[in-house]
Amino acid sequence: MGASVAAPADSPRASGRRPWVLVLLLAFLGVGVFFSPILGTVSVAPDTVLRILLHQVSGGALFSHPCAGASVPASGCAGLIEIVWDARLSEIMLAVVVGAGLGISGGTLQGVFRNPLADPFLLGISSGGTLGAAVVVVFRIGVADQNLLLPLFAFIGAIGTGFVILVAARSRFGSVETLLLTGVALSSFLSAVLSLLLLYSPTGSLQVDFWLLGNLGSLDWTQDGIVFGVVLVAGTLLATYGRELNLLQLGPDVAQSLGVDSRKVRVRLLLLASVTTAAAVAFTGIIGFVGLVSPHVVRRIAGSDYRIVLPGAALVGAGFLLAARDLSLVAFPGTLLPIGIFTSFAGAPFFAYLLFRRRGTSTMGSP
Amino acid sequence: MHLYDLSSSSAPPRRTVPLAWFAVVVIVAAGVSVVGIAASYALRGGSSSGPLTITDDLGRRVTVPLDPARVVVLGPSIMDSVYRLGLRSHVVGVDCYAPALGGLSSDYSADQVALWNLSSSMCVQTGPTFDVEQLIALGPQLVLAATIVSVAAVEQITQTYQIPVVMLQPATLTGVILDDQLLGEIFGVSSASSSLANALQTVLAQAASLQNDLTANGTPFPTLLVTYSADGNGYWTFGPGTFGESLIELASGASISANATLSYPELSGEQVLASDPQFLVYGTGFGINESTYAGAPFWSQLTATQDGRAVGMDSNYFTEPDPTMILVGLPQLMAILHPGSSAQ
Repeated sequence: MGASVAAPADSPRASGRRPWVLVLLLAFLGVGVFFSPILGTVSVAPDTVLRILLHQVSGGALFSHPCAGASVPASGCAGLIEIVWDARLSEIMLAVVVGAGLGISGGTLQGVFRNPLADPFLLGISSGGTLGAAVVVVFRIGVADQNLLLPLFAFIGAIGTGFVILVAARSRFGSVETLLLTGVALSSFLSAVLSLLLLYSPTGSLQVDFWLLGNLGSLDWTQDGIVFGVVLVAGTLLATYGRELNLLQLGPDVAQSLGVDSRKVRVRLLLLASVTTAAAVAFTGIIGFVGLVSPHVVRRIAGSDYRIVLPGAALVGAGFLLAARDLSLVAFPGTLLPIGIFTSFAGAPFFAYLLFRRRGTSTMGSP
Repeated sequence: MHLYDLSSSSAPPRRTVPLAWFAVVVIVAAGVSVVGIAASYALRGGSSSGPLTITDDLGRRVTVPLDPARVVVLGPSIMDSVYRLGLRSHVVGVDCYAPALGGLSSDYSADQVALWNLSSSMCVQTGPTFDVEQLIALGPQLVLAATIVSVAAVEQITQTYQIPVVMLQPATLTGVILDDQLLGEIFGVSSASSSLANALQTVLAQAASLQNDLTANGTPFPTLLVTYSADGNGYWTFGPGTFGESLIELASGASISANATLSYPELSGEQVLASDPQFLVYGTGFGINESTYAGAPFWSQLTATQDGRAVGMDSNYFTEPDPTMILVGLPQLMAILHPGSSAQ
């Protein structure tokens, strides 16, 4: 006899518009990526930006003189191309990739923990990454190669923290509550170690602040490529677990009875979410609220089916981080703010709005 | 209510991918990282060209153009050296904090802005986030940077934009002299750098002479506290390994924080009162003056305060490793601690 099991409750309206939601989100993101290079700290006319982009994309075939008639800085047209193509576009692509990674990780963790407040940073993964970066700075490891060692150690710190959580998840005490509390305790412990380290090296705190505040700058295309590769592989694998996450919302026992090895699935998802988050944290530092807010936005507009929530959260996360970058440049012209400040600044009230807009209705759906 | 009809899949949802693919994920991630790092190293090999290759304070080998006409200076201490070597006309950009949050005045005092003829159009934002766009727009041939700029940003400038960056962050006061000589070599002003080096060494020799005299006479060094900030809990000061502590030692002073375990410790009011130093030097500048310290614990009970031996000095003299620290800061501190000494 077949079994019909209640899944996360969605309105018929929400379930009907699902396929379109992803298409629309992708379209919005595309528009954002197209127009974002117009914004930066150095004033460049929009038509010049467009000409430079087309010139670069076409390998120089289009607009052979992309700066013709434009007001060029002291560095000339070559400098202008570097500003638009290398500085802005690499930053924009990083925002998209990191936002997507944090979004899909957030959606995964909220599903694994069946907790609307779970996000990639709740488990201490970011604290581990920051501690890894701080070790390089404080102990002056490979001073001349810190641009390589910092993200490497940050990645190791983040992934190491993720493994501690995984060990807890695999143990017989690895209930959802235990995992959450382990993460919170680990996060506090790592933050304390970090504070102690910085006490002994106040001069290192400048570079560690870089991690704590979140940052999209100071990367090049190679580093963009590294983050992209990791997030693409781990994120794609995560997106294939929508069905299992739907069943996990019914509770581990029910999921188990329906053939889902909840402990094994949980471990796999935690590992993938840790890898994704670690890759983002390693290069950009802590960027708050993206992983927390993005899945909720998708649930609001497309329901609670994790087959939609996961890719949707990736798209919303990418768009959110890109919008944060753009809005910060509009709000503070000529100033580059650490992006983590702005995502928290914009994300907190938005999150509160989402939560209180429909008071009493869970944004997680009803299992 | 939306339902998942599982009747068509009464068998449990199975995932046939073995656990081994987790290892694959990690290996792929590590592989991508290694390729990226290797690519970064490969790119490094093709960095800027120029006739002079030097080793900077971080041990980086940098090829720089000789006597570059357009230079961006990221660090007030380097700007001090550049100015004293007569190279101000080469400078097209300087560090500043976020324009919307303070701008030029956050990194440079009003006196420095006026003396060095700096303007906001020269700003390259180095904090809280480094802004590479502003740097590129200035079209520099060379960047001289202190560690207020992250190494990641430095490598980005060097590798992606092919602009040579020389990191100048001396670890000792002798390093200040060496850095000035390095600048003299890069800009072809060896005679100016020799003159500056001589002036610096003369002051250091005077300080050493004073120290020898005091030691020979058996005169104990006066105790002092140098504080650059204070709050309701106590006094922030300089511990071992800092330039502030080096300056105090050179000026033949006995810092009450010499045995601190931290580099920049905060001494509690009790500790300061118990030590009751003969002199109290408080840092000024950037909006901080004597009134800032009035609320510090036991301020008015300290002997130094009561006897008029609490004196203000520009905080930069203790924190910025530059020629001014030696040429102005050191003699000023010696004059406070040893009034009438012939060595000043």
